[in-house]
Amino acid sequence: MGILTWWNRRARSRWARTLSLLIAVAVLATGCSLPSAGGGQPAGSSDASNASGEGSGGEKVTIRLATWAHAEEAKELQAILDRINAESDRWQIVHEPIPSDYATKIQTMLAGNTAPDLFWLAQEDVIPFAATGVLLKLDEHLQGDSRPAANLGDYFEPILGAFTYEGGVYGLPWIAQPVVLYYNKTLFDEAGVSYPDETWTWETFKEAAAKLTRDTNGDGEPDVYGFTMNGWPPFAMFVWQAGGDIVGEDGRTAPIDSPEALEAARFYQELIYNPKYTVPEEVIAEQGFADMFKAGKVAMFMGGASDDLDRVPDLDVGVAPVPSGPKGRVTFAWTAATVVNAKSPHVEEAVDALVALTEGIHHWKIVAPRKSLATREHLLQSEPRKEKAADVILQSLEFMRPLRIVPQYKAFDQALWEQYLDPLFHKQGTPDELAPKVRPELEKILQQSS
Amino acid sequence: MWSWYTDALRDYAATVVLLGALMLLVYAGLRALGRNRDTALGWTFVLPWLVGFLAFQLFPFVASLYLAFTDYDVLTPPRWVGLANFARLLDDPKFAASLKFTALYALFSVPLGIAGSLACALLLNRNIKGVGFWRTLYYVPAVIPAVATAVLWRWLLSTDGLVNSILGPVYALLGLDKPRWFLDPETVLPGFVLMSLWGVFGANTVILLAGLKNIPRELYDAAAVDGASGWARFRHVTVPMLSPTLFYVLVTGLIGALQMFTQAFFVEIPRTTPTFLQVYIYQEAFGLRHMGYASAMAWVFLLVILALTLLVFRSSPLWVYYESEVRGEDRAARGAKAPGRYLDLLRPGLRRRLRAGAPAVDDQHVA
Repeated sequence: MGILTWWNRRARSRWARTLSLLIAVAVLATGCSLPSAGGGQPAGSSDASNASGEGSGGEKVTIRLATWAHAEEAKELQAILDRINAESDRWQIVHEPIPSDYATKIQTMLAGNTAPDLFWLAQEDVIPFAATGVLLKLDEHLQGDSRPAANLGDYFEPILGAFTYEGGVYGLPWIAQPVVLYYNKTLFDEAGVSYPDETWTWETFKEAAAKLTRDTNGDGEPDVYGFTMNGWPPFAMFVWQAGGDIVGEDGRTAPIDSPEALEAARFYQELIYNPKYTVPEEVIAEQGFADMFKAGKVAMFMGGASDDLDRVPDLDVGVAPVPSGPKGRVTFAWTAATVVNAKSPHVEEAVDALVALTEGIHHWKIVAPRKSLATREHLLQSEPRKEKAADVILQSLEFMRPLRIVPQYKAFDQALWEQYLDPLFHKQGTPDELAPKVRPELEKILQQSS
Repeated sequence: MWSWYTDALRDYAATVVLLGALMLLVYAGLRALGRNRDTALGWTFVLPWLVGFLAFQLFPFVASLYLAFTDYDVLTPPRWVGLANFARLLDDPKFAASLKFTALYALFSVPLGIAGSLACALLLNRNIKGVGFWRTLYYVPAVIPAVATAVLWRWLLSTDGLVNSILGPVYALLGLDKPRWFLDPETVLPGFVLMSLWGVFGANTVILLAGLKNIPRELYDAAAVDGASGWARFRHVTVPMLSPTLFYVLVTGLIGALQMFTQAFFVEIPRTTPTFLQVYIYQEAFGLRHMGYASAMAWVFLLVILALTLLVFRSSPLWVYYESEVRGEDRAARGAKAPGRYLDLLRPGLRRRLRAGAPAVDDQHVA
């Protein structure tokens, strides 16, 4: 109220009123020239303030980087950023972590022209984003760059493929996580089943799962299960192992009713939620999915190579490659890339920073998706706790595959789940009944222009 | 890392300074225009809210109306498509299914919720020892965030959860299997209705309790002198006197039930079952980036909610009693234009009786 009494007194005479009006307008005008909230493109002043805050030269361009890193991860990433920022005299990367609701926030920032220069995107988002033109095509920008992380030929082809749209590369992958088979040695010993190895096929796997599923307290219901699945491990992985695919090579067909895909669907349907082999749905709902493996109630679990399932206290865990299917061994790989905002005001610096950043992450996250870094020494340097698993992980890199992403991937995936996988998993039809009916629906989505 | 926080802080500070300057400007402007001090102060203090309302409510509201006529994937500029989104809506089985699911949920959860709240309020209206403590206790559930209740209920309603354990003997008696609640498409809706009863304790109970407190004691005394039983007193004194409060609770409850989102968002249900319309709209808008189509759905849904709310409002003359109003004669005197006329469908014979000049409603407290 004080300011208003003061104001009131001031505003008594007409000239004073006019004067205050002018002052207010002036303040407003200055206010407007400040960067807006949530804002954005680094103006000269903010560059200077950031750079001076770090105590280095004032000429560096600020490159904003968004990631989904949570607190612990962000701290580790910051150590990398501090190092590469000190080495560069052109740019300075500032990290903006977005630990929740990541994709929604990124797409909103892109729509509002406040998106960062660099940001992480998971495999299913890169091609759909690239198709709308918001991402920078990297090929030409990387050509003259002699640093190893800029050499696209060094990346595993299938992984790079997940970020290639119409012949152009739109992101530098920083991780490739092949799925491996974690197994609880104690439960295997108790059931008298030999440990999984490279000779395992679908049949040996199924037999083992049946033997490992046991009623230990005699109440007539199993207490320990051989395996657990709920849509994970990905259905597509089994289709690949059978020699089929869920999205055709041209991205316009959905051959889920091919004999190979049907064979995989029958296998998946027989195992899922079947108390003979795996955990029933209601038990998963109560006791958790991977949690049951960690609690020693599930003997085998398929997880990403960098998961912590092999370092659970008081659990003796071994790691093996996934069993091979009728047409050989293929494993699913989860991957993600750092991409460049096509509207970045500092494209050159952003790409330069991207290469340095990617090199840094390749010495931090496992597995670095580059052939030259696929060595035991490098893997253990990044993650010493993977000592026991290292050989299996390296072996799995040879036969890993990411999803085949199309611009309409999200709609495709949703329809696949609603119309095919969910009914399949709940035994609302056999694969032979469902697949031919669903295929045209899926292809309708794939053949839409966008 | 810290620079990011200081940047955000600076932006907040700038916003505050800007708003402050704008407030001074508006005050000075209004005074210069010769408005009196109170008017100018009023506008000045309402300004921050007004700016927020215009920028974050009215603008998105209007923008979504525009987007409803476009194809907009968020990343590329919207493209005008006319009525295509609305045409698509007409033969989208998921829209129809979600709308039906949401309507059924409201149909069951609202009356049950009001009945429960009323029962709760009646209990808390008794003269028992430590009633203040009980009132506080019964309000506690309302303080728990919706997400926490969703997680709690998902656990309570799991197949071997508390609800099934307690109801085990009942199922056995009826020869039923244990329901799997949110895992079984058949029991998803009852699961959500059960979950909504959590809302019985909370704001509605407090509002109804306040309504009960407003009923004059004399009415009960007079009814008791006339020999009215407990039920008769409830039926002929409590209900009519409470009807404006019940009306309020019904309208807000109906709108709230139709807008169900948070709990549904955090409870996983089979992908083949329809979900709440709000959740479907969210999935389309932010999951699939069909912002135009989602906007069209949101607008159609708004009209549906508006129509239902109007229907409830129209029905109010038939069962809501205001002390100041003389029923029947009053409406007959106001003529055919009086509200209530549109409810011929619900009350056969109403128009005939109005035409005959007879009171539309026989006594003062008809429901």
